[in-house]
Amino acid sequence: MFGNRRSLRELADDDLMARVREGDARAFEVLFDRHGGPAFSLAFRMCGSRARAEDVVQEAFLSLWRAGGRYDPSRGSVRSWVLSTVHNRAIDSFRRQSARPAGSLEESGAAERLAAAELTEVEVERRSEADQLRQALAKLPDEQRKVIELAYFGGFTHQQIAAMLELPEGTVKGRMRLGLGKLRVTLTEVGVVP
Amino acid sequence: MSAGEQMSDRHDCGGDAAAYALGALEPGEAEVFREHLRECAVCRDELQAFTAVARELPLAARQYRAPAGLRRRLLAQVREERAATAAGRAGRTARRPARGLLAAAGSLAVAAAAVVVLELSSGLGPTVFPAQLRGVGGSAQVRVTHGRAELVVRHLSALGRNQVYEVWLQSGTAAPRPASVLFGVGPSGDAQVGIPGEIGHVSAVLVTREPLGGTSVPTAAPVIVARLDKADD
Ligand SMILES: [Zn+2]
Repeated sequence: MFGNRRSLRELADDDLMARVREGDARAFEVLFDRHGGPAFSLAFRMCGSRARAEDVVQEAFLSLWRAGGRYDPSRGSVRSWVLSTVHNRAIDSFRRQSARPAGSLEESGAAERLAAAELTEVEVERRSEADQLRQALAKLPDEQRKVIELAYFGGFTHQQIAAMLELPEGTVKGRMRLGLGKLRVTLTEVGVVP
Repeated sequence: MSAGEQMSDRHDCGGDAAAYALGALEPGEAEVFREHLRECAVCRDELQAFTAVARELPLAARQYRAPAGLRRRLLAQVREERAATAAGRAGRTARRPARGLLAAAGSLAVAAAAVVVLELSSGLGPTVFPAQLRGVGGSAQVRVTHGRAELVVRHLSALGRNQVYEVWLQSGTAAPRPASVLFGVGPSGDAQVGIPGEIGHVSAVLVTREPLGGTSVPTAAPVIVARLDKADD
């Protein structure tokens, strides 16, 4: 039996999802402890405000709790499901509010630094994974990194980005393609992507 | 010019996969691209490669622990819904399969729409609203029992790769809003999903095919439409 929390913590994500499907709140808790940090970090980067990030993560995890049975392991890991839900919720919240937070555009934004002061950075392991990603992004030419960040973290469409950066439309798509192509090569080299 | 011709003329093969993987296509373009994916293995491969990269992008954010307050609030709400579900389940007639998730998915309606529950609890058994389907085969209906709605689909077409069915709620002529429910269908094409939220003011339940992870606004015409203003029985 997996009656206690410790044994639940030994279960793989898919098995925990199976329990969430049965309405097991403790299995859900373990999933949150596993993925809540990355989820919050993504939301915080996108929203640039701690309060909004918390709202987004809460909404996303609640929708996972309520719709957990619709998780299909053949379509990707629990983590990528969680993160893509957070990503969608954040973009949804951008669309509900006309003003876009500055923090969503630049990670170094003053608002985010201020809000981040009281947050706990994570253990070395996850930080080094994150460093790998950031280094890979940093290797890209600025113009490619920028369109990728505006699209993914900012939730802007290529047309909005083209307008913002005063670029011809096709240019943005081209930069996205080049940038993601290079990222793929780098991430494959370091074994992050198969 | 037909939509099909326009697509093959305009579509620069391979040019859209990266933008699509980043969620950066305009909604109309995304729809055209998804259609294109059905018949273009090159774009499917490219999209798969780019999606694998995009999936790692969240880690490029500075990594924090989830704030303790967030964890507390979230888990408290989950336990509350769990309790509401258990209460709801105890009060229900026994013939349904013991699918805990369905109950869990439906429980939001209990938690969020107590008023509706009271209003509707006088009826016996589910009220069934048949749905119209477009281009996905099969059949579908929305069943409302004691203010809780669930969508039941049978023999629905399988989804394309990287796709999911997403449920929307429409009230009057307002734009559909996400029901926060995504689902896929097994080999049988069957699925049964609880629809969270207050169903009392909903005039139609819609389903669209969306990219994996869902979207915040429908990007395609609905494949299932169930009007809740005319019941079957
Ligand atoms: Zn193609």
